Amino acid sequence: MSEAALADSTSYADIERQCQEELKKLKVDEDTLLADLNAMLNQRTYIEDKIKGLSRLIPTLKVMKHEAEELVSTINGISESSEKISSKIRQLDSARGHVDECLVRVNDLIDLEICSQGVQQAILDLDYEKGAAHVHRFLSMDQSLLKKTANDMNNMSNMLKSVRTLQEAAAQLRAIVAHKFNEAVESEDLGSVERFFKVFPLLGMHEEGIKNFCTFLRTKVALTADKNLKSAISTSLTDKRYAIVYADTLTLLFEGLARVIDTHQPLLETYYGPGRLLSAVSILQQECDKQVKRVVQEWSKTRQIQKKIQQISEHSRITSSASGSKLEKSDPKDLDILIGEISLMHFRCELYIKFIERKALADMEIGISEAEQKNKLSKVLEQLILNSELSQSKHELLSHYLRLEQYFMEESVAKAVNIDTVELSFQTSSMVDDTFFIVRKCIRRSISTGSLDGICVTINNACRVLENDYCDVLKARLKQGYPSGYLDLTQAYNVLQNSIQQGRLQPGDTEQSRTAFIVALNNADSSTEYITALVDSIIKEIEGACPNMNSKERGKLESCLSGISAVSARLAEVIEYGIQQLKSTAIKPRINPWMDTFLNFSHQLTEDELSAYEAGESFVQTLIMNLETLLSSFRDILTSNNYDHFIKVLTLEVTQRFEKVVMKTQFNRLGGLVLDKEVRSLAGYITSGTYWSARDQFARLTQIATILNFDQIEEINDYWGNADDAITWRLTPTEVKTVLNLRSDFRSEDIKRLRL
Amino acid sequence: MDDYKFLFKVVLVGNAGVGKTCLVRRFTQGLFPPGQGATIGVDFMIKTVEVGNEKVKLQIWDTAGQERFRSITQSYYRSAHALILVYDISCQPTFDCLPDWLREIEEYASSKVLRVLVGNKIDRDDREIPTQVGEEFAERHNMYFLETSAKESDNVERLFMQIAEDLMKQARMTNVPRYDPNNYNVDPASQDSGCCSRLN
Ligand SMILES: Nc1nc2c(ncn2[C@@H]2O[C@H](COP(=O)(O)OP(=O)(O)OP(=O)(O)O)[C@@H](O)[C@H]2O)c(=O)[nH]1
Ligand SMILES: [Mg+2]
Repeated sequence: MSEAALADSTSYADIERQCQEELKKLKVDEDTLLADLNAMLNQRTYIEDKIKGLSRLIPTLKVMKHEAEELVSTINGISESSEKISSKIRQLDSARGHVDECLVRVNDLIDLEICSQGVQQAILDLDYEKGAAHVHRFLSMDQSLLKKTANDMNNMSNMLKSVRTLQEAAAQLRAIVAHKFNEAVESEDLGSVERFFKVFPLLGMHEEGIKNFCTFLRTKVALTADKNLKSAISTSLTDKRYAIVYADTLTLLFEGLARVIDTHQPLLETYYGPGRLLSAVSILQQECDKQVKRVVQEWSKTRQIQKKIQQISEHSRITSSASGSKLEKSDPKDLDILIGEISLMHFRCELYIKFIERKALADMEIGISEAEQKNKLSKVLEQLILNSELSQSKHELLSHYLRLEQYFMEESVAKAVNIDTVELSFQTSSMVDDTFFIVRKCIRRSISTGSLDGICVTINNACRVLENDYCDVLKARLKQGYPSGYLDLTQAYNVLQNSIQQGRLQPGDTEQSRTAFIVALNNADSSTEYITALVDSIIKEIEGACPNMNSKERGKLESCLSGISAVSARLAEVIEYGIQQLKSTAIKPRINPWMDTFLNFSHQLTEDELSAYEAGESFVQTLIMNLETLLSSFRDILTSNNYDHFIKVLTLEVTQRFEKVVMKTQFNRLGGLVLDKEVRSLAGYITSGTYWSARDQFARLTQIATILNFDQIEEINDYWGNADDAITWRLTPTEVKTVLNLRSDFRSEDIKRLRL
Repeated sequence: MDDYKFLFKVVLVGNAGVGKTCLVRRFTQGLFPPGQGATIGVDFMIKTVEVGNEKVKLQIWDTAGQERFRSITQSYYRSAHALILVYDISCQPTFDCLPDWLREIEEYASSKVLRVLVGNKIDRDDREIPTQVGEEFAERHNMYFLETSAKESDNVERLFMQIAEDLMKQARMTNVPRYDPNNYNVDPASQDSGCCSRLN
């Protein structure tokens, strides 16, 4: 209770204080309001003044509104009139157009008058340039406008008369100029020829002018060509350019034509405008075609091409049907020079075609703006070249070239094989060097023709000759086999007997056959290197000769080049075949008896026997000695690749045979020790003679020796499975057990019990 | 680089104008070129097709039929995996020349090459060689046979796809021509041409 009372008393005091505060606030508010009221009263007069002032403004505002309305209507008026003005300006513009047209018509009329008067005077004065200039002015007039003018005029007879005069004059001038041009041509009056050539375009005779002029140029070209061909025909055999005199003649022809085009192009461009070179070139091409055909015909006759081609195809028919009859056959050496001439002739044709293409296209580029027209003309150019006698002759030359080149390559390689000689101290024989010299020469010559097709075909042919003819020869030589001289007597007798029966071997020529075999094997190896070098060098040369191959051409070339790698594959096959031959005649028959002597040595030794064995001629010492004799007989005569290959095969043979004899032997602990030592020294010997490690090839044998060298069976567990010294086994668990069983002192029950 | 596993060379031969180029362009570009000019030398095109999920690259060599290009075209026979010999069913002479072409193939191509005889232009209504005559010729010479129209696109796709499938089958049997960038020439001689399913 007392607490509530206390609270009440506090609240009274509180309320009283709040009331006091409220009162104080109200008083302050009252003061403020009073002050505000006073201020307002004070402003009253001021505001009344303002209102008075404003009401005085009202009439002025009315005036302003009126004026603004007037302004708007004025502006509308202006806008309307400006519309009117601009339509008038438009009218003026079109009127000015009419005036301009009129001026042109008037000018034309005046000029027409002047020209028609001038042209006749000019003709009378023999001033054809002036006359043509008048006609040119006349032709430049818009003929339809002239007609319109004539219709519009009252006095039209005068004007029509002028037109007629000019038309007649033009016809007259055309006839005169054409005639004068011909006269000039006939009298070889070069100045006049050029003079009238320039007049033609003024008379609108562009095509005629070009035709006449180029026809004239043709006669000049023909004259020179005729002279050149005659001198070619009469060139004496002793002349040092006799062999390529027709290539020279073609060169002169093309150079002459190129000069004609180069010197007259500026003239043509100045007087006829750019874009007309194609017309000129087309006419000149007729002469070019005619002359090229003559040269090629004459060449073909003089060099007896048909006869040679025929001989070649007969020759290939006869060799392919394998009849033995001897045919008169062209010596590849004689053909060599001829082939050189053809490739040069072809190259010249190729160059000239490129020249006119380049010239005509560049001229079109400048002279013709519409793409469509340009396209059409470049098609015309393409057809012109495609259908030209020049192209036909070029194709014919390429065809001859390829036939002769193919024959040359085949025959020369055959010859290189036939005259193959081995020089002492060389590992390879002359046919390798000679063959690749020939192949390279042919391919390079094909590059010099400038024809990608020619290059591709020659590469194709080279691949065929190498892959078939050349590799076949090497393989055939290896097929003869490598006669071994170290056979024991009965073996030797059998081998010889068989060989003689098969007619492969004469009893006395063992040494020769051996050399032949080894050289063939080395030839195959060094050919592989020649091929790599060949590809490298020709790729570079082709890039140089055909720098702008498109992707299709490149694809074509690459596809053909890839044929060369087929040759490498075939060579690898031949080498493998040879090595296998060596293995069966030189390695196996010798290795086997050597390895078999292992069986003559007991490998169940006492300590005394061990010392005695080690003191004496041990198995492995004799083996190494024998191997050394064998290897040393091949070391210097085989190429290093072949020698490596040989050792690999030999090592495989040795280790396999070694394994076999070990499997036939019983060992005790000491015997196992001896074997382990023997395997090590053999592996050491072989590794020392090669670039590669023989350790891998010895892996199985080493593991067998390790097993046989155990103190106890359980030692296997140190090497097996997850053991610390575990190795990668080349032996299966069964094989391991079989090997363990070779130890006479290991019990087979213990071995059986092993868990591997 | 391309990820194809097989590369085959297909060579088209036959008289001028029988439509070799049109067949190739129909197959490789899907069009029939108007005013196709005679081929000069040999043309080379590539199309990669898919045979049973495997990419097969066909290298197509379109040779010129004109005699003067023979020394160029012959050199491509040897490395061909397939040879397509084309004649024009509306032109007897092109059919009469087939034995000459076969002689040439015999002389220059691998004996194992896949050979296909094609009678083209079947859209024409002036046929001179009945289908059966072509068929019998093909049979007699151990070739596949197909009639096509490059113009109407009849059998063109089929022709090339069948060749691709067949070559692939052979390749699988001998598994030789796995693509190797250093040695992408497949030796046609190492191929078996045992399978003889006819193309139709
Ligand atoms: N009606 C018809 N015409 C075709 C067909 N295929 C080709 N032609 C026409 O036959 C003509 C020759 O075709 P090409 O493809 O150039 O012949 P080609 O065999 O390549 O000739 P060469 O290159 O000279 O060996 C062209 O005019 C083609 O339009 C076809 O399927 N039907
Ligand atoms: Mg074609």
